[in-house]
Amino acid sequence: MPRRLPVYSALLWLLALLLPSCIEPYTPDVVSSPRQFLVVDGFINSQGITTITLQRTVDIAAKTPPPPEKGAAVSIEEENGSRHTLPEGTVKGTYSSAQLTLNPQRNYRLRILTAAGKEYASEYVPVKTTPPIDAVTWQAADKGLSIYVSSHDASNQTQYYRWEYTETWEITSPYNPLVEYKNGRIQNIVTPFPTICWSTNNSSAIALASTTRLTQDKVSNYLLRSLPSTADRLRQRYSILVKQHAQTADEYMYWEILRKNTENIGTLFDPLPSQLTGNIRCLNDESELALGFISAHSVEQKRLFITRNELPTTWRIQSGYESCLPADTIFLDRPTPPPPAAATLQAAFSNPNYLPIYALETPTGTVYGYISKSRDCIDCRTRGTAVKPDFWP
Amino acid sequence: MKHIYFLFYLLFSLLINVPGQAQQTEKVLDGTFTRVPFEQFVRLVESQTSYRFYFDPAATDSLFITLKAQNLPVPAALTQALQPTGFRFAVDDEKRVFVTAGKPIEATLPSTFFQNTIDGATIARADAAAPQQNTPVGRSRYVREAEYVVHDIGTGTGAGTGKATLAGHVRDLKSGQPIIGATVYTENPDAGTSTDQFGYYSLTVPVGRRDIKIRGIGVKNTKRQVFLRGDGRLEIEVEEDITSLKEVVIEAEKDKNVAGMQMGLTKLDIKTMRQVPTAFGETDILRVILTLPGVKSVGEGNTGLNVRGGATDQNLILFNGTTIYNPSHLFGFFSAFNPDILQTVELYKSAIPAKYGGRLSSVLEITTREGNRKKFSGSGGIGPLTGRLTLEGPIVKDKSSFIISGRSSYSDWILRRLSNSSFRNSTASFYDVSAHVSQQFNDKNSVYATGYLSADRFRLASDTTYQYINQNASLKWQHSFNNKIYGVFTGAYSHYGYDITSEKNPVTASRLQYGIKQTNLQADFSYFPNTKHTIDFGVSSLLYQISPGSLKPNGEGSLIAPAILGREQALESALYVSDRIDVSPRFSVAVGLRYSLFNALGPRDVYQYAAGLSKSENTIIDTLRYGSGKVLATYHGPEYRLSARYALTDNSSVKLSYNRTRQYIHQLTNTASVSPADIWKLSDANVRPQVGDQYAVGFYRNFKSNTIETSVEAYYKSLRDFVDYKSGATLILNPHIETDIVNALGKAYGVEVLVKKTTGKVNGWLSYTYSRSLVRVNAATTSDMVNGGRYYPSNFDKPHDATLVGNYRFSRRFSTSLNLTYSTGRPITLPLAKYTSGNATRVYYSERNAYRIPDYYRADFALNIEGGHKVKKLAHSSWTLGLYNLTGRRNPYSVYFKSENGQIKGYQLSIFGQPIPTITYNFKF
Repeated sequence: MPRRLPVYSALLWLLALLLPSCIEPYTPDVVSSPRQFLVVDGFINSQGITTITLQRTVDIAAKTPPPPEKGAAVSIEEENGSRHTLPEGTVKGTYSSAQLTLNPQRNYRLRILTAAGKEYASEYVPVKTTPPIDAVTWQAADKGLSIYVSSHDASNQTQYYRWEYTETWEITSPYNPLVEYKNGRIQNIVTPFPTICWSTNNSSAIALASTTRLTQDKVSNYLLRSLPSTADRLRQRYSILVKQHAQTADEYMYWEILRKNTENIGTLFDPLPSQLTGNIRCLNDESELALGFISAHSVEQKRLFITRNELPTTWRIQSGYESCLPADTIFLDRPTPPPPAAATLQAAFSNPNYLPIYALETPTGTVYGYISKSRDCIDCRTRGTAVKPDFWP
Repeated sequence: MKHIYFLFYLLFSLLINVPGQAQQTEKVLDGTFTRVPFEQFVRLVESQTSYRFYFDPAATDSLFITLKAQNLPVPAALTQALQPTGFRFAVDDEKRVFVTAGKPIEATLPSTFFQNTIDGATIARADAAAPQQNTPVGRSRYVREAEYVVHDIGTGTGAGTGKATLAGHVRDLKSGQPIIGATVYTENPDAGTSTDQFGYYSLTVPVGRRDIKIRGIGVKNTKRQVFLRGDGRLEIEVEEDITSLKEVVIEAEKDKNVAGMQMGLTKLDIKTMRQVPTAFGETDILRVILTLPGVKSVGEGNTGLNVRGGATDQNLILFNGTTIYNPSHLFGFFSAFNPDILQTVELYKSAIPAKYGGRLSSVLEITTREGNRKKFSGSGGIGPLTGRLTLEGPIVKDKSSFIISGRSSYSDWILRRLSNSSFRNSTASFYDVSAHVSQQFNDKNSVYATGYLSADRFRLASDTTYQYINQNASLKWQHSFNNKIYGVFTGAYSHYGYDITSEKNPVTASRLQYGIKQTNLQADFSYFPNTKHTIDFGVSSLLYQISPGSLKPNGEGSLIAPAILGREQALESALYVSDRIDVSPRFSVAVGLRYSLFNALGPRDVYQYAAGLSKSENTIIDTLRYGSGKVLATYHGPEYRLSARYALTDNSSVKLSYNRTRQYIHQLTNTASVSPADIWKLSDANVRPQVGDQYAVGFYRNFKSNTIETSVEAYYKSLRDFVDYKSGATLILNPHIETDIVNALGKAYGVEVLVKKTTGKVNGWLSYTYSRSLVRVNAATTSDMVNGGRYYPSNFDKPHDATLVGNYRFSRRFSTSLNLTYSTGRPITLPLAKYTSGNATRVYYSERNAYRIPDYYRADFALNIEGGHKVKKLAHSSWTLGLYNLTGRRNPYSVYFKSENGQIKGYQLSIFGQPIPTITYNFKF
């Protein structure tokens, strides 16, 4: 269903046709010098380790990632009760608690004291216990793969659900070099490149469902992920880890607005975006804003594996390395007369991102060139890790 | 003083005048004159002939005579020489020539002058023996005769103190078309009325001998002498005022600014509109309306009007009585009305008459011309993108006429000639056709039929085809019961629909359709019991039928799941009565009451939502099913219309008005501008009607014998329950639209200042508006609130707005126009910062409409070249050369943000990035 029409692009096109219209970069003053607001990301895990990341917002045109907020004192506070601190980890701006089990009858909040002395706290939130995921299933249709999640809460307490997922898949590069360029010359490779790697991707879309319209608190086959039948992730073995979060109505609303704000960015024909802050306030400076919504709940998760031979054979699954074919050749005997071989090799392979794969020899055994390609086509570690995840079979 | 001389000569000539004086051997004029100063010419003529000239040297100092005379009698030579100038002359029997600017003086008294006695028996009928050689130039014999004949009306003695009602039509002498808005009045006693859209008037005055004066836009002032014995009819034919062709003169209604009852009303005739330069060289009524104080739009290329802080859906646009839902072509770059067929355009911003209802902010009434009743004629024009042609003529002479007008773009033709293949696969075209037929059966019954069709179609790079269409028809029967009461019975039909077809990808090929139909029946009556009261009353009923949207697969391979939303139906009925009371010549009051009733009708499924919670899919607690024709919601309420005028002096007055309006249909567009894909939604069980109250006060003063009009109007408006949107609302194909909209409160206030010079070589207007338009969404649930429930600027809140429309006439053939427009930039919601959350980049936005795009400024220039002004000529033609956006300023139409490689970049789109030259050719035959 087209949620909105491509009227805007149509208008632009029309204008380009009819009128000497023009589009120029435009940066309002207020946008180029924004204040840096504190962003709080994470949730209070009622049965496990709570991890909160703190960062500062950046200019919308900034190329750098948002800077972490270092050196803050972060703690979970029980209403009229105990307090658990979250020390900063090795990754700056990330604060983690010990393994905790919170009382589902009490309310909790997150409290932050920044290094600059600003004190923030979320509202006190109740603890919701997330029901287990009943099933993560998949279905292969003509269009591709669909992954569904099902859950229910017999006590009708959950009602609002949010999911995140992490995908992991195997990758194999099309080349395995026999030679390497080292110290100005080609030698037989000492440490071979890994032949298999694992790539990981975290979900960025906001997946939400509510069961308030239903007579039972039951989510049945919620479509969480769709992959086209050509997706390279499905080439060998694919895995998805689904995490389920129970939400309060307020948190659900927060994510709903955040989803809409992110999907559309204020063009003329887009819906009006809205200001969204969350439930965190600065206690000692009213004018300081903090962005983020802190809730307290437990997490349930479930993993699913899909292998290539379970999928329809008619699917033309890509490798992700289509652009790497064919390989290049560095000739040592061209042009005539050829330059010194060392110079040719130096020119080709002094860049560490361009690698020789194997030598080309004449029938008499003279090397006249090297098959070669960019590192990204050869070393699968540019796209993942060669360390096999511990959950991988 | 000159006038005294004139009077003296006049009297003198009368005393010695003997009717039917014989022609003596007349001296003739010979020679060629090229730009000879008038005084020199006079001396020459006086030396050659016995004619003597009387004129104001100061007035004629810029008058030059160009003439080729071969044995021409002096009057004929003068006729020829003065024809293209603004001067007129009259010759008396003593061969005295009186040259005056504008109207010729009457060199003789009417033949009936001495015959009028109180004894009606001696009143003469048309006098065929009126002296021919004295007929002033430019005045037809018919009118001159009609002016001097005393018309005997009614039966009775005409004596005593009783009153009688005179009624009839005012029509154009040449074409037989009705003259709308002409004032028909007597000065002693002071009584007057104005003609309605049919040219009909009804005037009640004491019986006896009366001078009835007639003034109207674009017609020559005239009068009729009547001896009123009892009720009767008087058909009045008036002449077109050719000399005012290039003046924006509302001379006829000179004192309307001050003396008129109506406030917040702007009336434009087509001549005024033609002068305002436009981007594509074509007269565009909506562009002209936008130059008026209190009328704004969010940007160029958009015909959504925001009148006094009201939303774009709050304007009732009537085209000969039918409602037009989309008044624009090509995303708003052209208005959907062909200028050639238009007669007048009236915009009511406040004090909306009780007759009109259904929209909160304004009424824009567009009236087409009636076709020429006397002879066949046509007109047309060619502009850079469009061509147009109008034909009109009598069906039965003096009884019925037709006018048909068509306009079409020829951009398709241009597109096919472009080398870029994606252009060649594109189409962009529109057309509109209007037809109007009028038939007068007898004095008491006339019928008028109007048809209107406009359609747009554009396909962009062979992907998606957009089509939209307006179809309208109306039939009016005007019936005079007697002189004091007449009725107009109207049946009208409006349809607007769009169709968006996507074909590029066979899998997702789809067709999205929307349609609204409106059928209305109404009866309007006007009753003139006496000179102090004018009573209008009537009843109307309106049936809406909406197909809110359907999405269907297009083609065999399409996998689109069909989605069809249920129809919406409703009936809107109203009763109204209003009375205009002239308490004294200085003080008049108009009171009106309209009562409207709205019934939303089934068949329909209505969702019920949990009370006190934000309406969303999650809070639906029940679904009620209503059968066909069952009433699912009823709203009704009174709409008060009050206005008063008090004249402080002869040329200044104060006016007050209050009106309440109710609106049961809402346009849904949560984007800043109006797009053809916007939909209209009826009020129903979950969407309340909008209610607006407006209080306005104005001070009006005219200077320099009504040639300079000034006015200051201030208003305060409060709006209830108009539609605003929740964040990220989904409007298209949403079966529960109420979950995405909220009822908002609005307030708007402002001061409008207008200075208008109506005559002279330099004319035009300067307007300045300070206004605010604020919205508040303070819903019961926090999540639905916008900006914390505080007032925030609406999308079209542009506090400062100044416009200058200036015309300078070099000569009768050359005139120039200059437009200057400035306004504050419209509000915008800006992304302020970005951050990462949930593995994705998120954007933090400002409060809604917290910032503004840069200010808007534009200058346009046009040069109009008229062909010769000979009255009799095969075809009249004119050229308009225009330069739109003279300074080439890049006014931002929109500011938007795009995510590119992880960066969010701001862009501004300017529609007219440089000056746009245009040339248009117009003709008339």
